[in-house]
Amino acid sequence: MKLTPYIAFARIAFLKILAYRLRYYTGIVTYMVNVSVYYFIWKALYRGKESLGEFTFEEMITYVSVGFIIRTFYFNNIDREIANDILLGHIAAKMTRPVNYQWMNIAQAAGESFFRLFMFTVPTALAILVVFPLRAPASLHSALAFLAALLFSFMVFAALNFLVGTCAVYLHSILGLIRAKYFLVEILSGLLIPISFFPDTLAEISRWLPFQLISFTPLMIYMGKFQGEELVTSFLLGLGWTLVLVGLGHWFWRKAATKLTVQGG
Amino acid sequence: MRHLSILGYYFAQYIKIRLAYPGDFLIAVSTSLAGTVASFGFLYILFHRVSSLQGWAFEELLFIYGFNLVCLGLFNVLSMNLYEFGERYIMEGRFDQIMLRPLHSLFQVIFEAFRIESFQEFATGLVVVGYVWHKLDLPLTPLDLVLFLLMTVCGVTIYLAVFVMLSSLSFWFEDRVGVSPPVFNMIAFGRYPVTIYNVFIQFLLSWIIPFAFASFYPTTYFLQRHEFSSFFALVPVVAATFVLLALFLWSRGVRGYQSTGS
Repeated sequence: MKLTPYIAFARIAFLKILAYRLRYYTGIVTYMVNVSVYYFIWKALYRGKESLGEFTFEEMITYVSVGFIIRTFYFNNIDREIANDILLGHIAAKMTRPVNYQWMNIAQAAGESFFRLFMFTVPTALAILVVFPLRAPASLHSALAFLAALLFSFMVFAALNFLVGTCAVYLHSILGLIRAKYFLVEILSGLLIPISFFPDTLAEISRWLPFQLISFTPLMIYMGKFQGEELVTSFLLGLGWTLVLVGLGHWFWRKAATKLTVQGG
Repeated sequence: MRHLSILGYYFAQYIKIRLAYPGDFLIAVSTSLAGTVASFGFLYILFHRVSSLQGWAFEELLFIYGFNLVCLGLFNVLSMNLYEFGERYIMEGRFDQIMLRPLHSLFQVIFEAFRIESFQEFATGLVVVGYVWHKLDLPLTPLDLVLFLLMTVCGVTIYLAVFVMLSSLSFWFEDRVGVSPPVFNMIAFGRYPVTIYNVFIQFLLSWIIPFAFASFYPTTYFLQRHEFSSFFALVPVVAATFVLLALFLWSRGVRGYQSTGS
């Protein structure tokens, strides 16, 4: 596979989003609002308690805040974009390009994420740091492992979105599906509540699903709660799920492409 | 009356558009329902370890959440065009067409499109509220029902008024995204008892962007939290005030409207 065209897609996505940088200012406010809501909920829940589960209040706030901060990085709209491509018929022109459609989308998302890292993640992190008391990563070792785990957050999230987006070939509108996925990922990734907090059956189910890799795993690594063997396992899981989901997307798209009908365009 | 029958036509027309693909519509409704059910997951998971939130039981929070969903569901059905007002109507010039018709412009913009699947949020909310009403054995008189209806209308009205004001800003500032997303996210604040927040946010939610008047305060009467009764009594006043403000801002915007000419 030649890499150059994909790097070009990533670069163009980066430049395109630069033109819309204004929306990131309101984005920072949105994330501040999110973190604030959960800050007050947890504060009320922790009243009179030293710790809940294995988390102190300070750790919980760090968990939630860093969770939202990294979301500014790994988040993308591949599903919406594919649905738009299909609805508006752009898909026909895009499929004539001599590149892999799945990797083109992932490359564009990577370009966006790279942009967000500077224009969105860093300012959001600074804004949240000013207001809320956050803990630093447990150690340098944890910090580096955390950064590596973010790669899997991105890949798993992107691969899932590609799968959801591909459903648009069969459905007229996938907005409902996108919405359902949104809430499902919010809960099962551990973004709002750590998975170790879940009722036992739900926690057990979540461990067999890829969603934990998006938020819970990197956050536990950040806080030094995943170390040694657990760390190795989580990286192997990350690699495994990335391969499975990307493979699934590849297969699904190949199958869906034969059913594709384009209304003009 | 004339407006009501026109509203009927708008709605029937839009239903036809959506039901052109019945299978898709069914999937849209069921996935949307799945999303709503999942959004209750947060409360459920939170409360399986903790029994109350600053003196508020799980069921009471369910009630607030359910009532919020009733209003928000109806608002979501109606608000589809408000989010895209800046782009669809001002930047693409569609507002010219609106101005030519002998009907209030805001009426046309709101009722030209409906997010029909959001009726499931309304229904889910009602089921949840009904469940808690039964479970907590709350009193239910005809007056309670009338008040519940009134509170629902006020709640929807407050959401509509706030977002009409934000959409009105598009008359002066051309921006695709606008300031709606952070404000929309603030609706989540209103789903919990305001007493858990600090003074600043309590003030903001009550008097600046009055989402607490669209979800929390209305429920306090039914949950028999009488310490909030003066806030409860103010709900219709706040709703009416914000509607007047929204209409004023909108008409100011329309008066200064200059077509993009496209």
